[in-house]
Amino acid sequence: MRAFSLQTRLLLVTIGVLTVGLSAVGWMLDRSHKAAVRTGAEQQLRNIAYGVLGAIDERDGDIVVSTGHLAPRLAQPQGGLYAFVDVAGSGVVWRSPSAAVRGFDLPENTLPRRPAPGEHIFARDKSAARFAFAYTVIWDPSKTRATIWVFADSAPYREQIAGFRRSAAIGLIGATLAFVIIQFAAVRWGFAPLRRMVARIRALEAGDRADIGDDYPVELGGLARNLNRFVAYERDNRERYRRAMDDLAHSLKTPLAVLRNTMRDLQQSAATVIAEQLGRMETTVAHQLARAVAARPLLPAAPLSLLPLAARITRALQTAYEEKGVVVDAPWQRERPAQHESAVRVDESDAMDMIGNLLENAFKYCRSQVRVSVDETPKSVALVIEDDGDGIPPAKRQAVLQRGARAQDDVAGQGIGLAVVVELAANYGGRLALAESELGGALARLELPAAADSPKVAISR
Amino acid sequence: MRLLIIEDEVLLAAQIDKFLRDQGFVVDVATDGEEGLYFAREYDHDAAVVDLGLPKVDGMSVIQTLRREGKTTPILILTARGGWRDKVHGLESGADDYLTKPFHMEELLARLKVLIRRAAGYAAAVLDCGPLRLDTARKEVRVDGAVVDLTAFEYRMLEFLAMNPSRVVSKAELTDHLYEQDHDRDSNVLEVFVARLRRKLDPEGRHKPIRTVRGQGYRFAPEGAALDAPAEPS
Repeated sequence: MRAFSLQTRLLLVTIGVLTVGLSAVGWMLDRSHKAAVRTGAEQQLRNIAYGVLGAIDERDGDIVVSTGHLAPRLAQPQGGLYAFVDVAGSGVVWRSPSAAVRGFDLPENTLPRRPAPGEHIFARDKSAARFAFAYTVIWDPSKTRATIWVFADSAPYREQIAGFRRSAAIGLIGATLAFVIIQFAAVRWGFAPLRRMVARIRALEAGDRADIGDDYPVELGGLARNLNRFVAYERDNRERYRRAMDDLAHSLKTPLAVLRNTMRDLQQSAATVIAEQLGRMETTVAHQLARAVAARPLLPAAPLSLLPLAARITRALQTAYEEKGVVVDAPWQRERPAQHESAVRVDESDAMDMIGNLLENAFKYCRSQVRVSVDETPKSVALVIEDDGDGIPPAKRQAVLQRGARAQDDVAGQGIGLAVVVELAANYGGRLALAESELGGALARLELPAAADSPKVAISR
Repeated sequence: MRLLIIEDEVLLAAQIDKFLRDQGFVVDVATDGEEGLYFAREYDHDAAVVDLGLPKVDGMSVIQTLRREGKTTPILILTARGGWRDKVHGLESGADDYLTKPFHMEELLARLKVLIRRAAGYAAAVLDCGPLRLDTARKEVRVDGAVVDLTAFEYRMLEFLAMNPSRVVSKAELTDHLYEQDHDRDSNVLEVFVARLRRKLDPEGRHKPIRTVRGQGYRFAPEGAALDAPAEPS
């Protein structure tokens, strides 16, 4: 499974934390607001109860309530506020006009217990959606025990709570969204250098860039610097290596050439021995040098098209083999060349060595014809080079493909040439195959993996 | 035939020099690019061997400079590495052939002969010039099918003239291509050799293979030979 991107991870964590945290905040706010509303309701009902208490007079043992000083809502039928005075032994002795008009009786069966004298209770009558407040006094001197009940519809309070909840939810959800958006922007901004680095590494791999630049924040600066240094080092090293090998080749092969030419002055028997040994030395030097250059490249090379290179080398070889009058049949010589050829990710110098060795063999061993063609699959590109020479007998093909083998000893270097191709092709995940051409001679098929992510390259004639 | 060798390895250069001299060539040896350019500008060579890895001016630049200056001398490059980038670049710069070190002298000789012949417009190693037939591989000359016995010097003179057909070759040019630079340039000696060569090739005066162009030099144009002007080396 593909791992989540860093950006996704950070955003998921942020969203999770914000959701849990702000839910908790919402829940606590709701709780404390509810408690405050309840306390406020109790306070309100208590004040009204005290008001009723203050309006009570006892005349001749009867309880009388003077309505003039009561809260106006107790007089209004729609006020949602009701009061009762309930005397022990004689029942309800007074009810507020609001209750009287609405025919509202003291709901005996749902009432909480009457509080003891001097106590008060506050309760919520859930079925009737009302708050209830009760306060009991003992009236001196008659020792009358009177309980004052105040009821209030809870709807306004519930509305108040609902309204608060609504605005709190809107606020909290809005805050969450705002935080997420800000966090998203922050993450994008924060990760921009990383994304830049990734894009440049991709360009580096594609060969479109030589380094990844140095415009990075301090946290990535060291990494970028090291990566750049590493890339430059690798590139440099390869080039230096190549040059060193060139120097080595020059300094080894020249003395070999001198020795070989000195032999002509020697006695025949000595010359034979030395020639043999020289041949071995030449082969060894050639092999070791071929192998040394054929080091696997660390960075993938830029996409490269094989046919234009083959065309260039063919033109060069036609100069060198002019007197042979080789007829070349190749896509670039046709009236309508094939439309496309996939690119391969091979270093140009390596590609030239592979194609050059194969084409040189074809030119050298052909009678008069060389054919170059391209065989493409979605995964690979194969360059097929054929000639009308004597070909390589099946028994010898395997030997030729092994490094150091020589199919024809009279022409130096064929074995080494093919071995270099084998080695280089293997480095790039490709291979060389030998077969018989319908032209009569050898068929060499150099197959290399297609650069999948590279754009198709049009062939120019 | 005059050759130019530009090779910085003194020993190898000396070997090539000796070998080619033994084969009857006049050879100029330069051990760096600068000297090579000097020789190439000073003398007219029939072919040049250029090592790519040279001090002062590298081989590639030598070739490019010569071609820019209009020199069409056939050039054979020597490379130690055998890398194709160099070979292709060299051939694209104007070289005509390449040889990878180490090489056999015979191979070098064969390549040089092909280059010289190619520059003269001959495809095969045997030059058919009317009644005359030069086998450059065996250094054998036949007139009307009969072998003519020539000295090495006479053969070289005839070959040089045959390689420059239908063109007036001055005595100085002939001297340049047949003698070392410090040789006593007495044109009378040359005239004697030309006269002797004519007698051997055409005792009855029928073919007139070597004509004298008064005040200018000699022209190789045997009767009955369909000789075109030499093909321009491309």
